[in-house]
Amino acid sequence: MRLELRDIRHIYSPGAPFEIEALRGVSLAVEPGEVLGILGGTGSGKSTLVQHMNLLLEPTSGDVLVDGADAATLKKSELRRRVGLVFQFPEAALFAPTVAEDVAFAPRRLGLDEDEVERRVTESLKLLGAEHLKDRSPFALSGGEQRRVAIAGVLAMGPEVLVLDEPASGLDPAAREDLLRLIRTLHNTGTSVVLVSHDTDEVAEVADRICVLEKGEVRAIGSPSEVFYTNPEFAPATVQAVAALGEAAWNAGRPVRFDETLRALAQLMEG
Amino acid sequence: MNRSFGQFYPVASALHTLDPRAKILATALLVLGLFLVDSVAGLALVAATVMALVAASHVPPVTFLRTLRPVAFIVVLTVLFQILFSREGETLFAWGILEVHAGGLRLGLFLGIRILLLVSAAALLTATTAPLALSDGLEDLLSPLKKLRFPAHEVAMMMSIALRFIPTLQEETQKITKAQAARGADFSEGGPLSRVRATIPILIPLTVGAFRRADDLAEAMESRGYRGGEGRTRYRELRFRPRDAIALAVTALVLAGAALL
Repeated sequence: MRLELRDIRHIYSPGAPFEIEALRGVSLAVEPGEVLGILGGTGSGKSTLVQHMNLLLEPTSGDVLVDGADAATLKKSELRRRVGLVFQFPEAALFAPTVAEDVAFAPRRLGLDEDEVERRVTESLKLLGAEHLKDRSPFALSGGEQRRVAIAGVLAMGPEVLVLDEPASGLDPAAREDLLRLIRTLHNTGTSVVLVSHDTDEVAEVADRICVLEKGEVRAIGSPSEVFYTNPEFAPATVQAVAALGEAAWNAGRPVRFDETLRALAQLMEG
Repeated sequence: MNRSFGQFYPVASALHTLDPRAKILATALLVLGLFLVDSVAGLALVAATVMALVAASHVPPVTFLRTLRPVAFIVVLTVLFQILFSREGETLFAWGILEVHAGGLRLGLFLGIRILLLVSAAALLTATTAPLALSDGLEDLLSPLKKLRFPAHEVAMMMSIALRFIPTLQEETQKITKAQAARGADFSEGGPLSRVRATIPILIPLTVGAFRRADDLAEAMESRGYRGGEGRTRYRELRFRPRDAIALAVTALVLAGAALL
């Protein structure tokens, strides 16, 4: 599906003396099957923005479109199934006595029969490499394991777009690698992924397109090489290294991902 | 941002600058005294005083009333029970098994007004007194009981921590509710039983989170060398000035007058 946000504005506590305009007219689209990276510092409006993608927050003005149709006309439950939203620190919402029960919560809410629920639980736990945890209590797991289970709980709905808000915060490098691998796997199966992060290196590794948010506005949107090479101030280390060497001095293109950059540098050293 | 019951409203007013001990005592007097007031004129006098105090507190009246909203349900329920189940005085109205008697009506309305005034006084206390000042004041007032091994400092500390965490828990509740809504939870459909059941996915993580927070807080306090009330000094010393005594005396007089009316 294609998810489009059109000129979204969001004002918290409108009319009150402490009103805050968190989004000032944001337009962007999540194309079918792509990985869209949303970058931005704290207070840029990232988390407010993603809550509009499944209408957990209603925009003060602007439209959310699902395949061209107004998302507000869809049933809320239908919209939330199709656009799976994983909040920051999603493990804070684990509640069931066992991991399997917790992951089964969302598919049960969809009214699926028990066989199908079980199939989905197994499948999404397997995708996250957590099927061995299924009979454990979610409260007895490590932070990284809890994170996986919480993400599986949203994946079990079978969303067409998966929105991940800072999914790697507080995880160790190995767990972060696993997470990026999951995003690639989902990408290969045709699920769109929105990866929200303040970590440019992480986003650069998996995103097909990048959107940079600043003070509630879209500062830049486009392909990673385009966005990063025109805005080196928030580019990942790879791009900054290439820029420091003098991008024009060599014709290795505009590598962004680590292995691309490595290859380009190797070529440079040989030549 | 929603102001909740018991939250401090930081503006400048004469009430804000009063000694917390005077305010706590005055509130306690009011709460006890209200049950001695048993006439329309007396209740009206107390109500007028409370309203005047709200005006003097510089808390916008609408904001103040909004913080009372959670209590409204309890008040309405109590009043209804009194009116419907008290069989005192002449019958005003009868419909099947429902009977409304004059005595019950009077009792119900009096009780409702008393509860409202009581809650207003308590809300006024917390709105005009910073949590820290409140717990300091309470500790001072309770300190004579230390001789009887009553843990005055600890009780005051527990109270101020509880107050401090009300907004935090509210925020947490909102976050968890949203996370479960994203997983298809619906808190508005079905009968009362299924609605209660729908809150389980919120209450469990909230409780688990509260325990974790308490652990974290205890560790943070210990790592900063906190070891209870013994020999602790204060950055802000409380001073009981003549105006505090006057405020307290006026409260006592108003209540005595209201009780006699």
